[in-house]
Amino acid sequence: MADTTREPILEVRNLVKHFPLTQGIVFRRQVGAVRAVDDISFTLYPGETLGIVGESGCGKSTVAKLLMNLERATAGEIFYKGEDISKLSGRALKAVRRNIQMVFQDPYTSLNPRMTVGDIIGEPFDIHPEAAPKGDKQARVRELLDVVGLNPEYINRYPHQFSGGQRQRIGIARGLALNPEIIICDEPVSALDVSVQAQVINLMEKLQDEFGLSYLFIAHDLSIVRHISDRVGVMYLGKMVEIGSDAAIYDHPTHPYTQALLSAVPLPDPDAREGRERIILTGDVPSPANPPSGCRFRTRCWKAQDRCAEELPLLAVPQRYADADTAVAHDSACHFAEEKPQVTHA
Amino acid sequence: MTDDRLLEVRDLEVEFTTRDGVVRALNGVSYGVDAGETLAVLGESGSGKSVTAQAIMGILDMPPGRITGGEIIFQGRDLLRLSGEERRRIRGPKMAMIFQDALSSLNPVLSVGYQLGEMFRVHRGASRKEATARAVELMERVRIPAAKDRVNDYPHEFSGGMRQRIMIAMALALEPDLIIADEPTTALDVTVQAQVMDLLADLQREYRMGLILITHDLGVVADTADRIAVMYAGRIVENAPVKELYAAPAHPYTKGLLDSIPRLDQKGGQLYAIRGLPPNLLHVPGGCPFHPRCPRVRDRCRTDLPPLYAVSEQAADGAADATGERAEAVSADPAQDEIARVPELGARSSACHYWKETVDDARRT
Repeated sequence: MADTTREPILEVRNLVKHFPLTQGIVFRRQVGAVRAVDDISFTLYPGETLGIVGESGCGKSTVAKLLMNLERATAGEIFYKGEDISKLSGRALKAVRRNIQMVFQDPYTSLNPRMTVGDIIGEPFDIHPEAAPKGDKQARVRELLDVVGLNPEYINRYPHQFSGGQRQRIGIARGLALNPEIIICDEPVSALDVSVQAQVINLMEKLQDEFGLSYLFIAHDLSIVRHISDRVGVMYLGKMVEIGSDAAIYDHPTHPYTQALLSAVPLPDPDAREGRERIILTGDVPSPANPPSGCRFRTRCWKAQDRCAEELPLLAVPQRYADADTAVAHDSACHFAEEKPQVTHA
Repeated sequence: MTDDRLLEVRDLEVEFTTRDGVVRALNGVSYGVDAGETLAVLGESGSGKSVTAQAIMGILDMPPGRITGGEIIFQGRDLLRLSGEERRRIRGPKMAMIFQDALSSLNPVLSVGYQLGEMFRVHRGASRKEATARAVELMERVRIPAAKDRVNDYPHEFSGGMRQRIMIAMALALEPDLIIADEPTTALDVTVQAQVMDLLADLQREYRMGLILITHDLGVVADTADRIAVMYAGRIVENAPVKELYAAPAHPYTKGLLDSIPRLDQKGGQLYAIRGLPPNLLHVPGGCPFHPRCPRVRDRCRTDLPPLYAVSEQAADGAADATGERAEAVSADPAQDEIARVPELGARSSACHYWKETVDDARRT
C-alpha cells in the first residue's frame, strides 16, 4: 500500500503538451495546435500504483511519453524526487531515465526481431555501463528471465519464438534490468488474451512487492485498473477530470464522465443486465485541436448548463462534499459534481 | 425451437496447409442459431471462432484452407453442397457479416455511399440514384447524424464508432436473416462500444435476425447473448444458456476464464490465472486439448478425447456425492456414453469428462 505521508517520488505540475498543426511547405506557419495534454497535475508515491484511464485520444499515452522525456513538454514541470526533470538533457537526463523505465503496449512491435532475448534484456547495461553488473552480464540476464517466469535457457532465442504473453514478460524484464524505481506501463496487457492477462497482472504485482516499484498504469480496461491501482485518475480530452483512491473513483464517482464510463462497461454478470441503469453518451469525443470552451465534456454531458461553456471547472474537492470524511470527498473537475447512487461497478 | 432453427453447423472440420504442416483449425464444431436469437461464440485467439464464421459465410481462403468434413445447414439447405453462384445469392440478402476493423474492411478510395449502395446495385439491380437514396436511408437507420451530407464522404472522414455503424448498415442493407458479427466492438472505446451494441440489439429485435456474436469479452457476452458456445483449440468445449453458464460453468476452461476477471473482493490479491499457454494447433495435445492447463486433470484426460456430454440439472444434482466414480462409471459403459455423446443441439453440453464435479464445485462456491 502507498505511504502518502512520505515524499512523492514523482510530481507532475501543470503539464502541457501541444502538438503544432502547420500549413505550407516552404513557409511553414502554425495554424493551430492539438492540445493532447492540457494542464495536468498529479503525484505518484513510492510503492504506489496510479492508474490512468480514459478513451483513445484523451492523452494518456502522451503523458507517459512526457514522463519518459520521449516528448518535450510545452509547459509545466515534472519533479522526480524534488528535481525538475522536464528540462534536463544530456548526461543528467540519462541518469534520471535509469530510474524511470517503460513497458510498452504491443509486445509484437516493441522488441527488435533481429536481437536475441539476451541482447534485448542486456541492452540497458550497454547504455548505462555504470549500472551494469560487474563481471558476468549473462548471469544477470538469466536471473531477470527467471524473475519474470521465463526459462533462463531461452536467452539465445529470438522474439518470434515466443507467444504474446511471453514477449510481454521479456518487455518487463528489460524494464527491470536497471533496478528502476518507477515503471510506466502503457496498456501492458491490452494486446493479450484473457487467460494470459491475469498471468501478467499477477507477475507485475509480485514484482512490485519484491522490488518496491511505483507503477503508473495506463489502460482503458477499467476492471484491470481497479484491480491493480491504489489511486486512479480519469482523463478526458487532455484534462484530468477526476482523481482519487480506487474506492473513491469506482464506488463514489462524482464526475458525470466517470459515471458514464463506468456504466458503459459491460459486466460479466447476465443477471445484472435488466436492473442496471446505463448512461449511453451520445456523439463522439470532440477534436483536441478545437476543444469546447469551458468544460470539455459539456458537449456530451446531460448536466451541461450555460456556466459549463463559460467557466472551466477546476480539479478540486467539490464544495458540497468538502466536509465529508468518506471517499466521496475527492478531486473532481465538474461544477455540478454529485454522486449518482445507481452507478456501481463490480 | 427447432422450427425456428436458422443455422446449424454440424461437425465442421477445417484444415490449413502451411509450410510447417497441416493445422487443424476446426475439429468438429457444432452449434446452432434460432431466428431472433443471439449466440455468442467465445474464445481466445487461435481457438477457431473466426474460421467457423468464415466457413459459414463462404469466405474462407481456399487454399490454404480446406473444409474436410461436416455440414452447414442454413434454412434447410447444406451450404457446403451449393455452387459458388448459389452461395453468392445467399451472401448479402440472407446472411451478412460485420468485421472487426472497419477501417481496413472499407475501401478507402470509394465513398461510403457508393459502398453501401453497391449492395442494392449488385443484388437488386438498382440504379445509381436509387442506390444512393437507399444508402442515405440506411445511414439514418444506424443513427449517423446528417446522413444526407455525409453520404459522399470517404471512410477516413468518419470516427471509429461511425465507421462501425457503416459496417452494420452494410450488413443490414438487404435485411438478412442471419448476421455474423466478428468482434464488432473490440477496436472501440467503452462508451462507443455501448452505443454500437445498443444499436445492434435494437436492429436485431426489429428484424428478428439471428446473430452470431464472436468475441473474447466476457462482459459483452453477459450483456447481450442468449446462449454461449465456448471454443478452445478448434472445438466447442461448452454450450449453454448465458445465465446458466455464468452461474455454474461446466468446463474447467470456462471456469478459468470467468475466474480470471478481476473482482472487487479479490482486490490486491492474486488473480486466478489459467496456467500455461493456448495450444499450438500444429501440435494439439492428445486426449482433452485443455489437459496441460487444467487444474482437475486426471489420467483419463490425457488419453481420451472428451465428447460433448449433455449437461442436465438432475444429473448434476444427483451426483453431488461420489461424483468422480459415478462419472467414470457412466462413461465407461459404451452405450451410456453414446447417449451422453449426442446432446440435443441447443441443450447445455460440456466437453469435459468431469463436468459434474466442475458444475458442483462452481455451485458450492
